[in-house]
Amino acid sequence: MNRSILRFAAAFVLVLASFGVAAEQEGGVIKIVSSLPRTGSARGQTDTIVNGIQMAIEESGNKVGAFTIKYEDLDDATAAEGQWTAEKETANADQAIKDPDVMVYIGTYNSGAAKVSMPKLNQAGLLMVSPANTWPGLTKPGKGDPGEPEKYRPSGKINYVRCVPADDIQGVVSADWAKKLGLLKVFILDDREVYGKGIADLFQARAEEIGLKVLGHEGIDAKAQEFKPLMTKIKATGPQLIYFGGTTQTKAGQLVKDMLGVGLDAKFMCPDGCFEDAFIDSAGAENLQDRALVTFGGLPPEKLTGKGAAFVANYQKKYGKFPEGYAVYGYECGKTAIEAIRRAGKKDRDAVRAAGLTIKNFDGALGRWSFDKNGDTTLRTMSGNTVKAGKFAFMAVLGED
Amino acid sequence: MSRQKEKVIAIAALLALAVFPLVASPRIGGEVKNILVFCILTMGLNVVVGYAGLLQLGIAAFFGIGAYITGILTVSQFPFQWNFWPATLAATLGSAVAGAILAAPTLRLRGDYLAIVTLGFGEVVKFAIKNLENITNGSRALNPIPAPDNLLDWNGNYRWYYYLALVMVVLVALLLRRLEDSHLGRAWFAIREDELAATCMGLNAAQVKLSAFAFGAALAGLAGALYAASLNQTGGPDSYTFNRSITVLCFLIIGGMGNLRGAIAGTFILMGYDNILTPWIDEAVQNSGAQWKFSTFKLVIFGLALILMMRFRPEGFFPSRRAEEDAAG
Amino acid sequence: MLILLQQLINGLTTGTLFALIAIGYTMVYGIIELINFAHGDLFMLGAFLALTIVTRLGLEDAGVAGAAGGIVLTFLCSMGFCAGLNFLQDRIVYRPLRNAPKLTPLVSAIGVSFVFMGLGQIWKGVADINFPDVIPNQNLLGTDALRFTAKDLLVILVTTPLMAGLTLFVRYTKMGKAMRATAQNPTAARLMGIDVDRVIGWTFAIGGLLAGAASVIYGLTINTVSFQMGYQNGLYAFTAAVLGGIGNLPGAMLGGMVIGLVRSLGSQYVGEQWTSALVFGILILLLVFRPSGLLGARTREKV
Repeated sequence: MNRSILRFAAAFVLVLASFGVAAEQEGGVIKIVSSLPRTGSARGQTDTIVNGIQMAIEESGNKVGAFTIKYEDLDDATAAEGQWTAEKETANADQAIKDPDVMVYIGTYNSGAAKVSMPKLNQAGLLMVSPANTWPGLTKPGKGDPGEPEKYRPSGKINYVRCVPADDIQGVVSADWAKKLGLLKVFILDDREVYGKGIADLFQARAEEIGLKVLGHEGIDAKAQEFKPLMTKIKATGPQLIYFGGTTQTKAGQLVKDMLGVGLDAKFMCPDGCFEDAFIDSAGAENLQDRALVTFGGLPPEKLTGKGAAFVANYQKKYGKFPEGYAVYGYECGKTAIEAIRRAGKKDRDAVRAAGLTIKNFDGALGRWSFDKNGDTTLRTMSGNTVKAGKFAFMAVLGED
Repeated sequence: MSRQKEKVIAIAALLALAVFPLVASPRIGGEVKNILVFCILTMGLNVVVGYAGLLQLGIAAFFGIGAYITGILTVSQFPFQWNFWPATLAATLGSAVAGAILAAPTLRLRGDYLAIVTLGFGEVVKFAIKNLENITNGSRALNPIPAPDNLLDWNGNYRWYYYLALVMVVLVALLLRRLEDSHLGRAWFAIREDELAATCMGLNAAQVKLSAFAFGAALAGLAGALYAASLNQTGGPDSYTFNRSITVLCFLIIGGMGNLRGAIAGTFILMGYDNILTPWIDEAVQNSGAQWKFSTFKLVIFGLALILMMRFRPEGFFPSRRAEEDAAG
Repeated sequence: MLILLQQLINGLTTGTLFALIAIGYTMVYGIIELINFAHGDLFMLGAFLALTIVTRLGLEDAGVAGAAGGIVLTFLCSMGFCAGLNFLQDRIVYRPLRNAPKLTPLVSAIGVSFVFMGLGQIWKGVADINFPDVIPNQNLLGTDALRFTAKDLLVILVTTPLMAGLTLFVRYTKMGKAMRATAQNPTAARLMGIDVDRVIGWTFAIGGLLAGAASVIYGLTINTVSFQMGYQNGLYAFTAAVLGGIGNLPGAMLGGMVIGLVRSLGSQYVGEQWTSALVFGILILLLVFRPSGLLGARTREKV
């Protein structure tokens, strides 16, 4: 009997381990991994981010000094959930930590996911570069929940940087923009997600500060299918603007339709989570015409100059389509990762981490920018866009006055 | 399958699982750790559905309640700041109480109506987690949940949670094994087989059902506590949806209801497919330079597997002895 | 006051949609005691077919006559498609399981639901898709304070005859009587010479027919479709069926209306974020105090 136990156990281990061992890699290589929701409804935006990262790495010739750069595209979403899950994000972080070749972790897309992996990666001293997290509390003391961002930094060191301006900037300039456009009576909605609720609260605070009339603030259930009752209620308050803190995936399109459906003729402002073609596709171009006001961190691709314009041209050549708003952030994160490895000059996580934070006056596709002491980009330029004839149309540079 | 042989296989599998993290890559090892946590959840559901024959479509709610009790009692933003162990105990008991509170007024409902109440309860709990932000932080989740102690590198090395989960799985399995042969376990089976006859024999049906419900909820709560601790945070409300309840039910039925082997094997098979096999195939496809993704077809294949399984082996891969006898006629 | 009236209109129009889907759940449950989890996803596939047809025909710019003709065609196609698919689903998946324990077909239904959802995902992708605005959003009442639009009218124009027709069908036709007999007692029905399998096939087909109609109405009035729409609407419709008393046709209609109203009034007076919790909370309370639903008969023991 004992022999049969052992034989069975040995076979079991061998089968399971053959899966595991196959994934291990030999030395001489530095790996950059990204962890983004690659299945489910955010797929459209993450596709363009991954394209951007790949372009940046290819432009380096897959080499930094003596090291060969390898890129691995991890998924933090599952098909069953259709969006990121905490387990997958944890598993991705664990995998990156345990793989000694991994020097940079590009991610995450959702701020909620960053909260999961940040403390882990911090303890491992692995540099984390996000192309899309905008929750202020991830980096800025006093701008998020109590205890943020220290609770993500158990090692006491900073390992997280982001190429995208945080929402304490976007929320503020959005409210300022509304005032400038003469939209003084506003009703605020949010999707109750980390990102959406966060930015809606910041918008509200600023709106009250600068004297806009906030008629109400409600959360929606992003799984609901239609919002006519809600819009009926809002219509009675007589807003000139509806501000929605949320994304395409959390029903921005349906809100616009139901707003028009109840005969409410107001403008509809939303943050960069809606700055993607999918928003126009889901809302219907004619519904958004001159009505949608979409803010975005940085300039839209067609307004980029210098290296940014070159990026847009190359992207079009390589992928045969115009990049979406976030592609350039993927690209910039890829560049940042390469730059950090180059500055460190050795395959050592702590050296790469420290080098990443020293990046200053970087001449990138987004212009010239630095990381500040919290790991935030110094870029503060925001753009305001509307929709014309089914395409985003640039309206104004925001936040530079 | 004889008891003897069963024991051999159980010990062999245990040995294999104990050695496994020492040889596996961290990605696969980490996934197996998750699977172990879910094994406890499936075993909890098995008590309600498999043993007592009550259809429960809201097990994720108790999983969530366990996770959030652990979160509330341990995170730094609340004054409690308990250690992991008492918090886990509280989560287990708290879920049991929640299960009993839900079950008490609804036990007189017949079969499917009870199932629907559990479904509704699951949805209500999800929205409560989402909307009661002062307590739950809404979708920002409660974090970080501190490690059980500072002696081991819990966060840096998944293996500690792996072994913790493995030990818990073994303890729960042993406990349930004992229960199966106890007075209470037999009462559950009796209610499942024929409620009318069981009551005629003097069993208090309501009490028996209530205990199954509470017991299942307690195990779900324990799983939730482990889940939250191993994630360092409670996970948002979307971790505790109807979808989760349904998936765990599928684990149980594919594995084989009413016995521990089935519950554990089902969890391994289906989660292994979803979290290990599919990414592995995807990666292979990606490396071969092809443009399509296997995960696109994952859901269809999963669905077809369920349908075929129900058609040709409805009692699951590892039916309970009783179901085997039934099938044999 | 006007707002209350407006919310009643909102609630009843969406409630009617839930009711149409709920009928499919309740009929199937009434006859074979199966919670057909795939029904919502069938509805989703119907909406996808409708989207394909409407886009292909270019109905958005087809003029009034063209649009009207196209819409009728879309209804016929989607209803036929869903009816056929639902019939096949029963024939292939559930019929072989007639004598199996109750959980077996239930899990099969979950499987079918996953297959449908996966197919929808492959067919149209994962993002929300805009359904072309064929019916004008025009208010039919003189005042802007109260709106009853052409879309709302469409909902009523299509659902009322369908529901009336169904009620008459079940009450007066031979097949309808056979359905009621089978729901009462399948064995007795079989002994009386009723071809029970055929009756069940018809039940699935009719449920599919109504889901198909609902899917087109949904596309034309809500104007967004996605592969997840079946899940959410299915859950509500199913709740409607239970609320009304599962297995009971008028109950399903009533349940749908109640849920529509709870959602619209809840949004107005309680808060949008709590509306879904409210629906399920009411469901639980109702079942505790009236275990067989609003109109359900006292539960029979089926031994």
